[in-house]
Amino acid sequence: MIGTLRRLYRGENPVDFPRWWRVAAVASGLGLLLSIGSFGLRGLELGIDFAGGTSYEVVAPDASVGEVRDLLAGHDAGGARIQLLDGDVVRIRSDIDDPARAAAIRETLTAELGVVETFEQVGPTWGDEVTDKAVRALIVFFVVVALYISVRLEWKMAVGALVAVAHDIVVSVGVYSLLGVEVTPATVIAFLTIMGYSLYDTIVVYDKVREMTGRLGATERHTYTELMNLALNRVAMRSVNTSITSALPVLSLLVVGSVALGATALREFALALLVGIVVGSYSSLFVAAALVARLKEREQRWAQVRSKLDGRGLLEGPTRPIGRDEASVPESRLIESADRTKGPARRRPTPAVRPAGGTPPRPRKKRR
Amino acid sequence: MFRRQVVLLTTILVVSVAAMVLTLLWGNRPLLGLDLQGGVSVRLTATEPATEEMLDQSVEIIRNRVDALGVAEPEISRTQDGVMVALPGVDDQERALELVGTTAELRFRPVCEVLPAAIPGTGGSSGTSDRSAEPFASCDLVRTGTVRPATGADGVTVPEDDNAGDFVILAGGDDAATGDRRFVLGPTVLTGEALEDADADFIDFRWQVGVTLHGGGVGIDGFNAAAQRCYVGDASCPVLAGYSNGLIAIVLDGEVVTAPQIRAPGFERDRIVISGAFEKREAEDVALALRYGALPVELVAENTRVVSASIGEDSLDAGVVAGLVGLALVALFIVGYYRLLGLVALASLAVSGSLLWAIVAHLGTQSGLALTLAGVTGIIVAVGVSVDSNVVYFEHLKEDIRDGRTARSSVDRAFPIAFSTIVKADVASLIGAVLLWWLTVGAVRGFAFYLGLATILDLVATYCFMGPLIRVLAHTRWFADRPGRFGLPAAGAVGSLAATARRQELVT
Repeated sequence: MIGTLRRLYRGENPVDFPRWWRVAAVASGLGLLLSIGSFGLRGLELGIDFAGGTSYEVVAPDASVGEVRDLLAGHDAGGARIQLLDGDVVRIRSDIDDPARAAAIRETLTAELGVVETFEQVGPTWGDEVTDKAVRALIVFFVVVALYISVRLEWKMAVGALVAVAHDIVVSVGVYSLLGVEVTPATVIAFLTIMGYSLYDTIVVYDKVREMTGRLGATERHTYTELMNLALNRVAMRSVNTSITSALPVLSLLVVGSVALGATALREFALALLVGIVVGSYSSLFVAAALVARLKEREQRWAQVRSKLDGRGLLEGPTRPIGRDEASVPESRLIESADRTKGPARRRPTPAVRPAGGTPPRPRKKRR
Repeated sequence: MFRRQVVLLTTILVVSVAAMVLTLLWGNRPLLGLDLQGGVSVRLTATEPATEEMLDQSVEIIRNRVDALGVAEPEISRTQDGVMVALPGVDDQERALELVGTTAELRFRPVCEVLPAAIPGTGGSSGTSDRSAEPFASCDLVRTGTVRPATGADGVTVPEDDNAGDFVILAGGDDAATGDRRFVLGPTVLTGEALEDADADFIDFRWQVGVTLHGGGVGIDGFNAAAQRCYVGDASCPVLAGYSNGLIAIVLDGEVVTAPQIRAPGFERDRIVISGAFEKREAEDVALALRYGALPVELVAENTRVVSASIGEDSLDAGVVAGLVGLALVALFIVGYYRLLGLVALASLAVSGSLLWAIVAHLGTQSGLALTLAGVTGIIVAVGVSVDSNVVYFEHLKEDIRDGRTARSSVDRAFPIAFSTIVKADVASLIGAVLLWWLTVGAVRGFAFYLGLATILDLVATYCFMGPLIRVLAHTRWFADRPGRFGLPAAGAVGSLAATARRQELVT
């Protein structure tokens, strides 16, 4: 693992991604199945923002669950969920959505237990409204992003990106369902963030793929999958670094959220994000990329390349790595292909292979 | 080319430093949301379909009530089917809930005296309003000074002392009929419970307000008892100079809505017509006010949220600490990995951070846009995205140098390609942020706003600061000589066959 990372760092191409795609397909399939199964059987633990009801957080160092339950029973609310959180806080959730009763309970709690630090009461229709809006936003988001990727990259990549995003969301929802963590507005934000990360990551990967296929595709010496493999190897280090830099603030949210009082929301939020970041990076390299490779290999152009190379018996065994000397051939030496990256074309042609310890082309000048 | 980079770099530095200086000079500070400083938020929904106008009116009325609480930045807005009230930092949370939630009581009081409007700042007496009087107490008690109604600084009774059984001094509303005057009023003789309905009618070519009362004691009989006294000019409801009969004031929310003269000793039917020099709109307003209490529609609290100040502070602390720790960890990692380039990335983060701070502080102070916990998380997330822009570029740079280019040529070539990647990815984030802001409600909106803002600033910082700075650095000899300092491989060395072979020997 460390050795692989070191070689990735040096810019070698040590990973045979297409081989891992098969493993990933099984893993993702299992993950999705588990998530959907858990969602279907257990459902989600909906917070009061979605189901309606009231929640209280009371600072009461000596309170016991039984004591609180007795208090609530007086208000015909004995069925409430009572949790003792760290920091001497009692959290109470009930399905009462009548403002008058909620206020009465609040008064009792203040009188008998201690300071009511937070109080939230949500009517029964609010959740539906929010959910409707969120679902609508999600659908519009998918459509617009699909259009955007189709325009900037290509529609097959739009398909891949959206499948990857959907994959991440389903897995995250599955984790929530399996762990029985309550779904709050913060959770929705976490899911949206996960979508954002995943999409961002996937687009960066795709852009690299397009650069590589644009540069080397015209030589017809490599299949799309091989070029994809090269691009993934080159972008892998970025993915690792970005995941680390994205995960570090989230990790600190997680740690601080665990220590600090009243920051339980932060902790749950951070947990969801952490899962999302890991799954998001994984899905860009292993789901989104694999899917696009599949789709592209079916195109006539790439199918021809494949059958030609296959005829020469070049495609047996592991994916052929593309050597640096070939990968770094400047584009000016290659036949211009239609979907070339819009890089700056004004660069002067340079020799493909430079002598060792090459000097800069221009004599050094002191600039001062 | 080189000059352009220097110009860009200077501009962005000047802009961000100026932004920070101005923020400090103007004393702009981010406005903290409810969840970060404690407070109350209530979402009220109308019990029946309401027009936009009615809701706007409700917003106005609630705003007036809330003003008494002295909340710095009350946020009261019309939603699709109701009113949203957010009172960050409100001290007396109980009272805030009460004020927002209840519909004020409608009271009928006989008028003892009509005074001109007080000059603000004069007068004000503690009064003796604790001596509550019977209904129909004689106005002479006030005239002779036996009872002095409690008044505040502007010569009218403050809401706290506006008890039903007291003599009070209340001001008229904004309209011509009652405005600019103060009314000395006797104890309440009838409340809004007596009222069944009210509407504006066009009778005898004039706009009038028709009032329907319930039958029985709390209704038409109670009203007639008062009307009888006022018609004859009893001591409890004297005939004032310029009038032929006594007046009964209809008071709402401590404001005299109208004070009609009683022109008949009793009303046979349960319908009373208030006639006067009403404009159509005035008649409608009075009818509305009578019908719904203070608010033109009945509003019920659909969602309520109360956060104590201490929890708010804790959340803020947790957010700040988490942010700082996270930032420190990112800094360590990125400098450890990319060396001087890592420092460039941090500087770029500082540029976008200072701009973000300036904008958030400006919006908080000028437009009352609050920074919530969701917003803070949006920003923390954006830190990740922002650093990634740098990583994308740096990795591209490395690739190019490994491919055999010199550091300097790699810098010029890699930036446009990397930037195009960054733009593609950032635009996708922006699309998400804009859609979320547009289509959702509540916390998600705050998150979307700050995520979008931070993403735009990331693009600015990348294009105007990070890119140019590295290009400028690349022109120094220092850069060309020691790429290792920048976390870059030595130029050209990797690309050669000989070097590859050498390295392979080392690896195996």
